[in-house]
Amino acid sequence: MNKNIPLEIQRFDLSARIQHIIMFTTFLILSFTGWGLKYAFVEPSSAWINVWGGPRIAGIIHRIAGILMLLDFIYHQFYLLNLARKKDLRLTIIPMPQDVVNMIHQFMYYFGLRKERPYYGKFTYLQKFDYWAVYWGMFIIGTSGFFLAFPVTVSALFPTWTLPWAWDVLFIMHSDEALLAIVFILIIHFYNEHLRSEYFPMNWLWLTGKMPIEQFKHHHPAEYDHLYGKGSDKKK
Amino acid sequence: MRFRLNVLFLLLFTFLLVTTAGAATDSATCLSCHGSMEGAVNVNKDKYAKSVHGSFDCVTCHMAPKGAQHAGLKGAAPDKAVKEFAAALAPKGLKDPLAAAACVGCHPDKVEAYKGSIHGQNVIVKRSADGPVCTNCHGVPHYIEKRPSMASKVYLYNVVESCGKCHEEKHITEKYKFSPLVMERYKESFHGRKLKLGHSGAPSCASCHGAHDIKSTKDASSPVGSIENKKKTCGKCHSGATDKFVAAITHRPLHPIAHFTEIALIILTVGTFMFIITHVLLDIFADIRDRLFRKGGDHHE
Repeated sequence: MNKNIPLEIQRFDLSARIQHIIMFTTFLILSFTGWGLKYAFVEPSSAWINVWGGPRIAGIIHRIAGILMLLDFIYHQFYLLNLARKKDLRLTIIPMPQDVVNMIHQFMYYFGLRKERPYYGKFTYLQKFDYWAVYWGMFIIGTSGFFLAFPVTVSALFPTWTLPWAWDVLFIMHSDEALLAIVFILIIHFYNEHLRSEYFPMNWLWLTGKMPIEQFKHHHPAEYDHLYGKGSDKKK
Repeated sequence: MRFRLNVLFLLLFTFLLVTTAGAATDSATCLSCHGSMEGAVNVNKDKYAKSVHGSFDCVTCHMAPKGAQHAGLKGAAPDKAVKEFAAALAPKGLKDPLAAAACVGCHPDKVEAYKGSIHGQNVIVKRSADGPVCTNCHGVPHYIEKRPSMASKVYLYNVVESCGKCHEEKHITEKYKFSPLVMERYKESFHGRKLKLGHSGAPSCASCHGAHDIKSTKDASSPVGSIENKKKTCGKCHSGATDKFVAAITHRPLHPIAHFTEIALIILTVGTFMFIITHVLLDIFADIRDRLFRKGGDHHE
């Protein structure tokens, strides 16, 4: 039966969009200021750090941005709790065995072994990966960053036998995982949301929160069918 | 031609000076020859004038230049302190030991500290040519500049490089059993990176190890020679430094655990990178394929 199918579908509410804006702003600031320190011995770094007001100011900016990002992340957990309280939370972002199947189907589609793209739900496996990567990053980079910011206090928490390597491990975790996050965002996220021919120069979803229904049906057919019933999709 | 004229002129001038022995010993007299000579004996007049000692007569330090060409050019007779210091520096085999020792005339406190340092002891007591004298760290004596200047070899941002001249040298690190990675490990630390970026609060080698009175780290009197001293030294910036905190910096090679963590994370990063770049490339190809052969893709019905 044909329910009322809107022209656009709400993907992200206002709060989620604001959380995303804070997340990517602080992410960019952290990347820009951290990059200069990570590659301090590559020549343009001093000049680059001076753009940010010199090493002292850049360090302060990096710490403030880090704290804002952590707060944004913590806020997101309360946001989820609130959705759960309102019984508005569907566990569509949890990775499922179906995601592995979808990934295999996606690659089969790439190689011409399947005619159709996978029958994606509300989120594709790449989107789930993107989402949970933030948790991984928050855990690895956030924790190590917090430790590195307060070395005297934190050193009291470490058992003595960890001291010969703890700081090196924290530093490696912080800077290597940050590089991983930057590389990931730069390639997957920029490609999927900015460079793809259907979205270029960007997917305006991050501002409007809405997706045209045709696009939605194309990219998330399982979710479309879940919302409007299989019968509403005439061509199926 | 001009060069020959110069030589002729200078020879005449020298002859004139020799005949009027002792008349003029200011730096202009010396620089009239040494300013245009080539090689090690050359002194750049402008750089010298700009240096912190630029107003000195040459004979203030070169008290008794050797050779007939310098006959009559003499400074004050070296005093006891200079003679003693010059004799102490004999193992270095310097060209003009008196000049190298002349620093003591104005900087007796620094020289005293140096004599007690590991650097000074190596030259004076162990009679080794390896230990540095004043000019090994401060640079060419004629062009020493005041410290807050990028031209100074011992300025905060330059001193690491100056220490590295010996402490990064393989034959020195092997001979004295220094950790061969001391400099490298410092440079890749937060301290080294921040200093490289120009952070005025970042510590150089001298900030923790001391300068003229530098001691071996095995020496309990070194500012980093014992836990108690380390707590004081680290505490200059990290107030409340504890036993556990000061264990953080060793300059030792990366611990195996840290080393393998790094390798694991590099594999993770490179692996993720390969996966996503493949994914993106396949997606681009599929996009092009669909547009070319499947009539505008499968989402415009």
